[in-house]
Amino acid sequence: MPAGDTDLDEFFAHGVSDGLPVVPPTRARVSQALEASGRAGSELIAEVPPNYGRATVEKIAVNAVMAGCRPEYVPVVIAAIAAICDPAFDLHGVSATTNAPTPLLVINGPIRGKLGVNCGAGVFGPGWRANATIGRAVRLVCVNLGGARPGIVSMSTFAHPGRYTYCIGEHEEVSPWPSLAVEHGFTPDDSTVAVLAADAPLTVYDQRSRTAPDVLATIAGSLAVVESHKMTHWGDTLVVLGPEHARTIADDGWDKARIRRFLWERLQRPVCELVPGRDGGDGLPEHVLRKFPQPETDTTPIPKFREPDNLKIVVAGGTAGRFSAIVPGWSFARGSRLVLRKIASP
Amino acid sequence: MTDDYLDPTDSVAVPRKTAARPASLDGKVITLLDISKAKGDHLLDRLEALLRERARPKAIVRKRKPTFARPAPDDLRREIVGATDVLVEGLAD
Amino acid sequence: MHDGVFFEDHGIPTATIISSEFVRAARAQADALGATEYRTVVVPHPIQPLTREEVQALADKVYDEVVRRVTT
Repeated sequence: MPAGDTDLDEFFAHGVSDGLPVVPPTRARVSQALEASGRAGSELIAEVPPNYGRATVEKIAVNAVMAGCRPEYVPVVIAAIAAICDPAFDLHGVSATTNAPTPLLVINGPIRGKLGVNCGAGVFGPGWRANATIGRAVRLVCVNLGGARPGIVSMSTFAHPGRYTYCIGEHEEVSPWPSLAVEHGFTPDDSTVAVLAADAPLTVYDQRSRTAPDVLATIAGSLAVVESHKMTHWGDTLVVLGPEHARTIADDGWDKARIRRFLWERLQRPVCELVPGRDGGDGLPEHVLRKFPQPETDTTPIPKFREPDNLKIVVAGGTAGRFSAIVPGWSFARGSRLVLRKIASP
Repeated sequence: MTDDYLDPTDSVAVPRKTAARPASLDGKVITLLDISKAKGDHLLDRLEALLRERARPKAIVRKRKPTFARPAPDDLRREIVGATDVLVEGLAD
Repeated sequence: MHDGVFFEDHGIPTATIISSEFVRAARAQADALGATEYRTVVVPHPIQPLTREEVQALADKVYDEVVRRVTT
């Protein structure tokens, strides 16, 4: 491939872009990125499903350069690739399914400040190079090393805009509670990245609630329609509490465990409301229905989420605005789970 | 891609052949592997009935992988390889 | 696809049944692994809304092809 004015077109022709122009991965740029990683280019981080291309540090650096990453972002990208290639994440399924998931990255720890990762206003939106390019680098690796080309191997009916880039920081500075990383066994001084096989975010509007149960009842109403109003036994899903909502909940003395328990209990429905053909043709799968001799009248509660712990809570977003957001996971039983990895310091 | 830029892709393709086929299923062990996508069991139920009726197999074994969203686990793969002559897998939709 | 390629690699003739919408994806996956000779058995998409009887009728239709795929 010759260098020159037309070279951006060449990347499109080779199918190695996400549809946006890429930064050409010259040797000079890639070696800068490698140097910032503090690792050998030949080190194998993972084999990327479903095609199992080898994600060496160098291949990751090439894709990170193309995505527009600054060299110092590369350790974050490396940790994110290790996380999505953990079997618990099921990248094979995520990249091939007709459903719409894509890895959402949630960054915790001091590296957020060092790299300028946005955790505040517009956290899911454009404007911050770290968020934009780290998320994009992960997408390019999924395509270029994993083979997740849309419409060929990746068969998602819709996908969603997060497949361009999907990376946020937790707004730890305004959170009343331990961070997502600390809840999963890391220390506040660790820098980590969490990956969730994630649908698009859904904003929850509640301006008037002044108590924890009131805010959370509204949020539960939005969680009730994750996937569909009759989906049950769902798994890891992210609840992003806006700082104002978080403050209201914390002022009532509630911790994250109590929030999870409240939401989980509220999000159960009786078998009789979940029978296929009642209020929609979908509903409880056959193997579940078989456990109830008369499902049409059975009132046994069925949980929307398998366990309270499937509801993952972070605080993020701007300090003005009484909003939260739901990020549905792609997380049926034995499917994808949230995975966290520590980001190595170079 | 060439000298000017480093290649962001990797290929792990190795040339592979398909397995040798028997002339018929007469006296063979046939494994039907359900990938655990809804309705696949209905298809395999019917294929099993037809195979018993028409193919005179030695045995038909039914297996099920835990989820369609992942390749079959290694232990299930090994179990099948050691105990079957042919395999029918479905249904991916 | 990975299962089918694995079993063929291990000497087990395999018929993988897929719906018509996934022909291209299956081909791409098999090729990416180098299994260019690998062939699937295709039923019409969609499957999920079908009744048991409708799915059985599909099995009747593809039975001969399934047998051909795993024999000479």
